[in-house]
Amino acid sequence: MSLELLLAAAFGGSLLTYLLGKISSGLRDGFAVFVSVILVAMIAGLYGKIGAVTSYYHFMGLELTLRISPLSWFFAMAVSTLGALSVIFSLSYMRDRERTDFYYLMMLLINASMLGIVFSGDLVSFFIFWEMMSWSTFLLISYNRGSALAAGMKYIVFSIIGSMAMLIGMLSLYAVYQTVNIYMLSNLVSSASPGYLLFLLIVFGTAFAIKNAIMPLHTWLPDAYAEAPSPFTAVLSGMLTRMGVYGFLMIMYVIIGSVQTLNMGYGLLKFNYILAWLGAVTIVIPTFIAMLQNDAKKLLAWHGIGQGGYMVLGIAYGTNLGLAGGIFHTLNHAIYIVLLFMSVAAVQYRTGGERDLNSMGGLIKKMPIAFIGALFGISGLIGLPLTNGFVSKWLIYKTLILNGSPFLAFTALIGTWGTILSVYKFLHNLFLGQLPEKYKDIKKSPVNMQIPIVILSLTILLFGILPGLPLKVINSIIASFGFKSLNVTLWGIVSETGSLNTINLFAAILTGCVIIWLILKTGPKSVSASQENTYAAGASIPEGKYHYTVDFYNPFYRMIKPYLKDFMDIFYFKLAGWTQTLCNIVRKTYTGYVGHYVTYIVLFLAVLIFMQLKWSLW
Amino acid sequence: MQIIAMILSPILALIIGIFFLGLSRKMMARIHWRYGPPWTQPIIDIIRLFSQKSVTHGHLFNLGLILSLAGSIVVILFIPVGRIHPLSDSGGMLVILYMLLLAPLGLALSGGEAANPNTSIGISRQLILALGYEVPLLLILLALMTHYETISIVEIVFRQQYAGWALLSSPLVLSGIGYISIMPAILGIRPFEVVQAPQEISSGPMVEYGGPYLALATIQHALNLFIGIALFVNLFLGGAGNPLFFFIKMLVVFVLGIFINAALPRLRIEQAVQYLWRWPTLLALVGLIVVIVMKSVSAG
Amino acid sequence: MDRNQLNKWLKTPAKMGHKYSLHAVYFCTGCGIIEVPPSITARWDAERFGVLPVATPRQANLFLITGYVSVKTLRAIIRTYEQMPEPKFTVGFGSCPINGGMYWDSYNTIKHLDKYIPVDGWIAGCMPRPEAIFVAVTHLWTLIDKDMADGYKRYRKNYQAYRENQERALGKLEWPPLFSIGGKG
Ligand code: SF4
Repeated sequence: MSLELLLAAAFGGSLLTYLLGKISSGLRDGFAVFVSVILVAMIAGLYGKIGAVTSYYHFMGLELTLRISPLSWFFAMAVSTLGALSVIFSLSYMRDRERTDFYYLMMLLINASMLGIVFSGDLVSFFIFWEMMSWSTFLLISYNRGSALAAGMKYIVFSIIGSMAMLIGMLSLYAVYQTVNIYMLSNLVSSASPGYLLFLLIVFGTAFAIKNAIMPLHTWLPDAYAEAPSPFTAVLSGMLTRMGVYGFLMIMYVIIGSVQTLNMGYGLLKFNYILAWLGAVTIVIPTFIAMLQNDAKKLLAWHGIGQGGYMVLGIAYGTNLGLAGGIFHTLNHAIYIVLLFMSVAAVQYRTGGERDLNSMGGLIKKMPIAFIGALFGISGLIGLPLTNGFVSKWLIYKTLILNGSPFLAFTALIGTWGTILSVYKFLHNLFLGQLPEKYKDIKKSPVNMQIPIVILSLTILLFGILPGLPLKVINSIIASFGFKSLNVTLWGIVSETGSLNTINLFAAILTGCVIIWLILKTGPKSVSASQENTYAAGASIPEGKYHYTVDFYNPFYRMIKPYLKDFMDIFYFKLAGWTQTLCNIVRKTYTGYVGHYVTYIVLFLAVLIFMQLKWSLW
Repeated sequence: MQIIAMILSPILALIIGIFFLGLSRKMMARIHWRYGPPWTQPIIDIIRLFSQKSVTHGHLFNLGLILSLAGSIVVILFIPVGRIHPLSDSGGMLVILYMLLLAPLGLALSGGEAANPNTSIGISRQLILALGYEVPLLLILLALMTHYETISIVEIVFRQQYAGWALLSSPLVLSGIGYISIMPAILGIRPFEVVQAPQEISSGPMVEYGGPYLALATIQHALNLFIGIALFVNLFLGGAGNPLFFFIKMLVVFVLGIFINAALPRLRIEQAVQYLWRWPTLLALVGLIVVIVMKSVSAG
Repeated sequence: MDRNQLNKWLKTPAKMGHKYSLHAVYFCTGCGIIEVPPSITARWDAERFGVLPVATPRQANLFLITGYVSVKTLRAIIRTYEQMPEPKFTVGFGSCPINGGMYWDSYNTIKHLDKYIPVDGWIAGCMPRPEAIFVAVTHLWTLIDKDMADGYKRYRKNYQAYRENQERALGKLEWPPLFSIGGKG
């Protein structure tokens, strides 16, 4: 199967979906699911066909190519699978909305352009697909209008800055080497001067850091995540943002190459070391800000930023364990964050768009599947053993500790503990505790929402117990970067400095649970009690107000609140404000009187003449 | 052999943990100038609880408790007791650190379903307290792991048996003192008994547990006592060659802990976190820096 | 522990467990509670009998009604009693719960506690000394041994009558019946 066909199917499918939507909505829904599922199958069929390069177009003398590497296959698989699940999930979520045709068009278009990004073999196609992705994302973020428009604006401004930086890098590469093909570049660039390489890393790095929301370039993300329609937020958080990680991998390890990247700079001021520290900061601060959020989607969004830090930390650290951990974490994060956003969306769908954590509770009895999704999601996010998040974090921690970076390890570890606090609040306030009176008759989530949730929950468990499955692919990726590959078994990693064996862990926990369950069973049978029958010092329970949610960690908030404002966001707003004031002042000069303009011109000429006479500049 | 060790070590932990519970009640009574219950009292309580009918609030109410207890048992399989360490080669310290999460998190899930605000308050305190002591604890463990250049707890114990206790060896003294100063918080005894706080929030996360549930929760408490002390003995007192010496070391540490428990009143949660983030963290931080500096000096 | 005791432990562990691990709900109804703190602290040390106050009824098996029971308190008492897991034992403490005591003609207290919840034993006096509590505890041991502390069984059996009495005193109760009324329960 050739790659052009794949991309043609992806792009053509999205347009066709839009057209079909004009005929009937049922047809459109069916076709959208069909296209996205067929893409998964096609990409799965490409497994192992590494290195196939196809040139598909000639553009101003440049050859535009597509190619597969283990890295691109890995990302494409994740993109298409999660995209398909999100489309399935959207079916009922978007049913009674307006502009659904447009929504599906954009959704599939984003999917297709992400596939284009990972398969593109030269920087021009990379840039084109990148821009397509950014602009369609902008349209979908502002889909809900109102405050969503502002969020979209914020996103697109940042995105354009990133694209410009990338464009500068591309143009300079083209000017120097007369080619945009990634593979040719990677051969040519290795002989460049370190200064030029650093320039390349910084300009491309800015673009990818914006996309991956690394501090201090993260501020577009929380609003964008919160305001986008929830099934799209899943895609946005899961894969789209992580195109930044793909970009980092591409520029650092494919184009410039591991040897050059890891030796740039001196001592503590190495490029990759600084990037790792940026990643570490990105882990800690957003995780603590997340604790203060009361909006379910915003809370998850801040975690999205924080988890991005782990990926960057792992990738930038530049050991084989770290790299494997970083790439694996990208996949894991995609799985559980998509799952979490889907659970929130399922709740939103039934409660009429409610996402205020303080006003819900007790939904576990009403929406068990959504709860299971949320539970597995947060377990993965925390990185509990037996979930996929654990394995990738384990890899990262291990390399940080054994290669002598305890402070980086500390930031990464403390991020986990901060995560627990906020995600428990998330789970508790939505699903546990007392069910408010108004949600008494709430129904289960529809089947097409349950299917993706169940699939993703099982995947989290599967990759947690048998991490060898994805790690084998990741192994080939890091081998293609020129690193020593890991000794991976199906259930863990073998090494002399401490190995991991998840199947043992799984067996132990399972046995423990079964034994304790049996003990509990042999005791007298317990009576089930309703939520009204809890101890309240003998008083009977006031209905609907007996749930401790508001200011869940109040004592702690009082301690940390002053330190945890989003200073960068405030700074950017200030910057925008200053620019506006400046422009206003400049605008004052345009008075509208011809006389004034003539004066300006005369003054300008006078200055020019003065300068020429004084310094004889030209 | 492996299988026997797997069965033996949780049972050993359970016996020691329950003995410690009983001992603590007896000793507290003697410190208070009372006669006190027999030291078998926790066993009597557990028997009584197992014969009592309880209420359940749903599946997660059961499952959370089961999960939390199973988590504690698995942690015990990772901790060397004397020379018994059935599972410790499948993940090392990092797995222990993460498995330690299962216990509070399981209780939190279970308590969350109980739909009682007292539980929620208790859980929120528990998680805050955990964050509080986790900051110095992580620094301390990182100092140990950096010093010994391993993530395996068995290796750490092994090295100490040659080179002397970590608590008494030069770069790790500060970390050791730091660990001692946060140990009451890890064990959940006074002055850090903010989670249960029977007088304020009706024993917090336990408020809806009765009958067999409370029995399991008591067992969990016993196991947690064991884990907290056993970790200290392994990491800083060099473990032991056989379970008996190990037990004696644990006993000494525990008795000291009880004196602290009996002598001090309870802190408020903010005060607890403020304390934990001030002196112990400072000690641990200095300890870690010292370890790194010593390392680079000896290397270069 | 003599041989006799050991035999009993082996034969009826549950009963023995209940005897030596009486955990009382820390619930104060009237002035009688003033005698409880001394009896659980250093002076009289109830813990040596295994008696310990606990904060919630779910963990308890002993309910001490310490003093007069106003109508408002009765509601809480019933609720708490019903939330205790079975088997559970109730002891009325002081003359007020027995027959009204010095509040015999009050408009706002109930006079006979055992009309509303079953009571396994009484401690008379106004107010009884802590020693009396321990006498009551040892009496309760005998009762448990002889299977005579069966208040919770009586409650189950005569639930309808108890519920009617409760509703007569308190009006409509806002919680559903503990056992099905009319059936065998
Ligand atoms: S019996 Fe006496 S001491 Fe007890 S409540 Fe009645 S009046 Fe008060």
